[in-house]
Amino acid sequence: MTDSAITKKPKVLITGASSAIARLVAGALSPKYDLVGVDPRPAPRDTHFPGEFVVADYHSRKLDEVFLRHEFDSVMHLGRIRESQRFSSQYRFQMNVIGTQKLLDLCKLHQVKNLIVLSTYHVYGAHRLNALQLTEESPLRASQSFPELVDAVEFDHAATTFMWRNREVRTTVLRPTNVIGKHIRNTICSLLRSGVCPKIFGFDPLMQFIDEKDLARALILSLEQNVAGVFNVAGEGVIAYSHAIRHADAVTVPLPPFISAGLVRVVAELSKMNLPPYLMEFFKYPTIINDDAFRAKFGYQPKVKTVQSLRNLGQITDRRHLIAQAGSLDESV
Amino acid sequence: MLKRLLMETDFDHLKSLISKVEDLEIMEIPGFDERLRRLPIELNSAGFDRWGMHPETIRKFAPFLYVLYKKYFRVEATGFENIPDGRVVYIANHGGQIPLDAMMVGLSLLLESEPPRIARGMVERWVPTVPFVSSLFTRIGAMIGDPNNCRELLQHDQSVLVFPEGTRGSGKLFKDRYQLQRFGTGFMRLALESKAPIVPVAVIGTEETYPSIHNFKQLAKLIGAPYFPITPFFPLLGPLGLVPLPSKITVRFGKPIYFEGSENESEELIREKVQQVKESLQNEINTGLEIRGEKIFSGAAK
Repeated sequence: MTDSAITKKPKVLITGASSAIARLVAGALSPKYDLVGVDPRPAPRDTHFPGEFVVADYHSRKLDEVFLRHEFDSVMHLGRIRESQRFSSQYRFQMNVIGTQKLLDLCKLHQVKNLIVLSTYHVYGAHRLNALQLTEESPLRASQSFPELVDAVEFDHAATTFMWRNREVRTTVLRPTNVIGKHIRNTICSLLRSGVCPKIFGFDPLMQFIDEKDLARALILSLEQNVAGVFNVAGEGVIAYSHAIRHADAVTVPLPPFISAGLVRVVAELSKMNLPPYLMEFFKYPTIINDDAFRAKFGYQPKVKTVQSLRNLGQITDRRHLIAQAGSLDESV
Repeated sequence: MLKRLLMETDFDHLKSLISKVEDLEIMEIPGFDERLRRLPIELNSAGFDRWGMHPETIRKFAPFLYVLYKKYFRVEATGFENIPDGRVVYIANHGGQIPLDAMMVGLSLLLESEPPRIARGMVERWVPTVPFVSSLFTRIGAMIGDPNNCRELLQHDQSVLVFPEGTRGSGKLFKDRYQLQRFGTGFMRLALESKAPIVPVAVIGTEETYPSIHNFKQLAKLIGAPYFPITPFFPLLGPLGLVPLPSKITVRFGKPIYFEGSENESEELIREKVQQVKESLQNEINTGLEIRGEKIFSGAAK
C-alpha cells in the first residue's frame, strides 16, 4: 500500500488530445504523470497517446464518466476548436463555450488542484487602436468586429471568470500568439507552409510567432509551477508579415485593402485556402502581445528563434509527405 | 508675406537637387552604419526591436533622408549638450501639415547627436489605416500616441517625441505659424510617472514648407483625415503642389525640465506644469525666430 502511494504518479487530463500541441505535451509529461486524453476526434492512426484515450465531446455524459473513473490532480484544457471553415459556428459554440463550462464545473466538483487553459491571442482582436504591446489587461476587442470569434472570447472569459470565482482550483490561462511548427495545422501556419500567403496590399503588420516546442514548454511550465493568472505567451520577438513570408520561403498574393468578408470567402473557396475573413484584420493591424509577466513569473524563455522556426516551415517542400506523417511525432520537447 | 515667400523660393536650388537624385543610389553617408549600430536598441533574430523598429529599413532610406536633411532643408540642429542620458520626453512644436518636423528632429538625433539617439514619434490614431505609411512608421520606430505605448517605452529607458498640440498644431493655417496651440496634458502625467525629464524642442522652418491658407474641413471629414490643407500650390498644381517648399529648418534642443509630483494629481496642477513647458518651448521658438530673422530660406541658426 505504502509502496503504491509513493510510486503513484499525479493524474492529468488532457483535452484536445489529438492535437499536435497536446501530443507534444503528453510526450514530455508521460514519464512523470499518469495521463488521460480526451478528444472529439479519434486518435491519429499511427500515434500512440501515452495513456488512456477517450473519444468524447466536451459537453457529453462521457466526460462525467471520465471524471468519475479517475481522480485528476490537474486538467489541461487544450481542446479549443479553432476558427476555421471546417466547423460551423454553432458547433464551435457547443464545444468551446458549453463544453468548456461543463469541464470547468467538473473540475470544481471533483476538486481538481490545477487547471491550465489554452486560449488564444485572437481574443484581443486586430484593431487600429491596439497598443503596440498588449498586456493581459488590454481590452478584448475580437468579438466587436468579428462575430466569428465570439466563441473564442467566451471561452477565454469562462476560464478567467472561473479562475476568480474558484480560488481553490489553481487556474492558469495562457494566451499564445501564432503557433507555428512542423506538426501545427492552424490557418497561419498552413498558409506559410503552403508557400502561398495572402497579404493586404499596402499593409505589412508586425506579427509574432511561437514555435510548437516553445508553447509545449510553456504549457509544461504552467502545469508544474503553482502560479495562477492569465498570461500572454509569445515567441522570441516581432517580425513584419512580409519578412515572415520571405523567411518561410513563400510567395505573396496581394489582396485589395477594402476586401469584403464575402469576397474573402469566394477567394478562399476558389483557391482552396483556409482563409477566415477575420484573419484579414490581422493582416492589416498588428496584434502584438507582451509576455513579460509570463517570463518573469514562470522563468520562461523561448528557445527557438523566430527566423529559424519560419525557415523550418519553408523547408517542408513535399506537402503530401507532411500530411502522411502528420500523425507521427518523433520529436521530443 | 506669401508673396515674399514665393519670391524667395529658390527654384534653381530645386533643379540642382533633382539632378542629384540619380546619384542617390551610390551615395554613402560617412559613419552612418556605425551610428546605427550604436543606437540603444536590442534586435531579435529577424532584425526587429521590441516595438517593430527595423534599422535595415532605415538604412535603405538613409540616402534619401540624408539628402532631404542636409541638402533640401539644410537642417541646422543645436543644443544636443542639453539632452540628458536615458529616458527623455521631447516636447516639440507641430507645424507644416505633414510630420516633416518629427522626421527632422529624429534625423538630427540619429545623424548628429553624440551618442546617436532615437526619439520614438507618437503618431495620430488614424495613421495605422493609411496604406504603406502605417508599416513605414513602425519600421522607423514610431507608434500611435497611446498612453500605454508611451509608458512602455519610457519604462524601457527609451525616449519619445511628443507633439502635444497634435493635429491642432500641424493643421493650423499659415497666419497662425509658430503660435503654440492648446497642449494636451497626457504627456505630463506619463513623464511624472516614469520620472523622465522633458526637453523642449523648437523646430523652425517647417511652417513655411506648406503654407496652408484654408482648411477644407468638409473634404477632410469625407476622407477621414483630421484636416485638408489648401496651399497656394495644392491642390492647384496637382502632385507638384505636394512638394514642400525648401525653407531652411533649424532644430533647437532646450534645457531639460525636471518635474516633481505624482501622475495622479488634479488636472489643474498638471495644467500648470504643462503651461511651464509650453512657455519654455515658446521662448525657445521665439529665440530661434529672432535668430532666423527675415531670411526664411537661407537664414543661419547660430
